[in-house]
Amino acid sequence: MRTLFILSTIIFWLAAGGVWLADYLRATPPEQTAPAAIAAPREYSLADVATHNHQHDCWMAIEGQVYDLTGYVPAHPAAPEIILAWCGKEASQAWQTKTRGRPHSPYAQNLLPQYRTGKLRQTP
Amino acid sequence: MNAVSSSSALRRLAAPGLVLLMTVAIVLWAWPESLPLWRSVAIVSAWAGSGLLAASLLLMVREPHLAQLLGGLENMYRWHHRSGILAYVLLLCHPLALTLDSWLESPQLAWQMLAPWAHSWPVWLGWAALLLLMFGLSVTFVLRLPYRLWRHLHFSLGLGVLLGLAHVYALLGGVTLLLVLLVAAALALGWRLIASDLGVAAHPYRVTQVSHPSGASIEIRLAPCAGSLAVSPGQFVLAAFNDGPHFHGCGEYHPFSVSAIHADHSLSLNIKAFGPCTQKLQQLETDVLVRLQGPFGIFLDSLPAAPQLWVAGGIGITPFIAELRAHPRSQPTTLLYLFRNAAEAAFLDELTALSTADPKFELLAQAGERGLPDFAAMLEKIGQLQARVVYICGPAPMVNALLPHLQQAGISDTAIHFEKFDFR
Ligand SMILES: Cc1cc2nc3c(=O)[nH]c(=O)nc-3n(C[C@H](O)[C@H](O)[C@H](O)COP(=O)(O)OP(=O)(O)OC[C@H]3O[C@@H](n4cnc5c(N)ncnc54)[C@H](O)[C@@H]3O)c2cc1C
Ligand code: HEM
Repeated sequence: MRTLFILSTIIFWLAAGGVWLADYLRATPPEQTAPAAIAAPREYSLADVATHNHQHDCWMAIEGQVYDLTGYVPAHPAAPEIILAWCGKEASQAWQTKTRGRPHSPYAQNLLPQYRTGKLRQTP
Repeated sequence: MNAVSSSSALRRLAAPGLVLLMTVAIVLWAWPESLPLWRSVAIVSAWAGSGLLAASLLLMVREPHLAQLLGGLENMYRWHHRSGILAYVLLLCHPLALTLDSWLESPQLAWQMLAPWAHSWPVWLGWAALLLLMFGLSVTFVLRLPYRLWRHLHFSLGLGVLLGLAHVYALLGGVTLLLVLLVAAALALGWRLIASDLGVAAHPYRVTQVSHPSGASIEIRLAPCAGSLAVSPGQFVLAAFNDGPHFHGCGEYHPFSVSAIHADHSLSLNIKAFGPCTQKLQQLETDVLVRLQGPFGIFLDSLPAAPQLWVAGGIGITPFIAELRAHPRSQPTTLLYLFRNAAEAAFLDELTALSTADPKFELLAQAGERGLPDFAAMLEKIGQLQARVVYICGPAPMVNALLPHLQQAGISDTAIHFEKFDFR
């Protein structure tokens, strides 16, 4: 059992170190790749967003951007009802407070851009 | 196998059974649906690990009835160790599986998943729990520490479990399953602290006799002040000694095998000076109050209808003398008694007298000043070795050194029973 402990601990730290190293090596890439979405942002109104309001077609407006979170909903840590309630809505408030008064982590911040489909049209 | 020993074999399965049942039930309850593979692996390993940790905590509750139910304290501790280490391995897989899941989504996310500074406190709690588990287990496995320090540091594992569960609470809120685990863990830790270590459930006894049968040990007799413990030969109690007029007890609980059970329900213990606490006990006086917990142990519970070999190392003679004093032998029994020198060997005269009086009982006494004895040569002297069921009691290094010799001599594992005078 002692061997199992030592081996598993070493493997754990090697794996964690490997992930860090991979990240470190990628941090200085030869060419900067600009996210395509930034090049041509499509604009949507809140009314557009509101039509995508259920589990299998779930958009949200968060901090001036529009996200298609359909693919993410099943993967959310908390119960699906919590996130489903915000489909088709302006969800900045919910995002910032996570409904229980806690902001999302930088990890989650990083996750979000992948789901961006466009910008929210500013209505006067 | 006779009826008694098959029921004890069944009880031995109770502890692993409990571990398996808890883990399987929890994993089934928390089974993730329609999530990516590695995400699911992370969730399953997290819940299985949490279940195993809770089971491991339950298995260190030192309560006589529970111990009886779960095949004895030794057996409980064995599964306490196994489920703890398995939980640790699974919980190491948990963040790694989450990382792999992120990696498949986008390599940029992988390190973000692991790096604690990319998160907030729910995940920090997870890290803290994992690091505490890592620390606690290193202390357990890697360092050879004095027992008292080791015990205190070992408690960090309990804290690690609570932090881990707090991590789940912070992420998921008050899920029923989590609350069940939390209550189980808190009850186990609380019982351990309040009932076992502070001795709320202990029975008061009084020292009625103290004698010094050999240079390095005392034999004492304890009479119950109120209710008595129902002890059988081969069992041990946890004893904490209070102060007397000229005596300072160390107040903590230490395990001692009972060396005689008397008709008036009083008990004898034979205590050898090993370390700080047992050294002090050599000055014990009569009328000192003692608190006892127990009885524990199933070492000699089901002696079979077959010839036996008993091996005692030093003070490991105590369970055997209790058995010899309680019953005449029904089966041919050879006692191999190993000690440093005859002046230190407890009960030597009494054992010699017993062996001349009882034709079924043979005594092989062997003095050896230093190191481990030549077990191979000793075992050769024992007739019909393969037909015997073996019982060994003594310090852990002796037991560990003897086991491979017995296996080499062709004795099956199921015919070897042992009690180590060490809980680690
Ligand atoms: C099941 C069992 C039965 C025992 N029966 C007897 C007996 O009949 N007679 C006898 O003289 N000794 C017996 N011992 C050993 C005795 O418990 C230790 O010698 C004693 O606890 C030492 O404490 P210490 O402070 O004097 O020495 P320390 O230097 O603190 O410890 C010496 C060693 O004893 C063990 N130990 C210490 N404290 C504890 C504790 N609270 N719980 C478990 N192990 C501990 C550790 O392995 C440690 O390395 C038995 C031990 C066990 C596990
Ligand atoms: C390095 C340390 C750890 C990290 C980084 C970590 C991270 C995480 C994350 C991000 C989640 C949410 C995952 C998801 O739902 O997809 C999670 C869930 C969970 N973690 Fe940990 N964790 C760690 C240690 C632990 C430990 C020590 C335990 C032991 C109790 C534990 C038990 C759990 C459980 C039971 C869940 C809930 C899974 C679910 O049902 O969704 N974690 N952890």
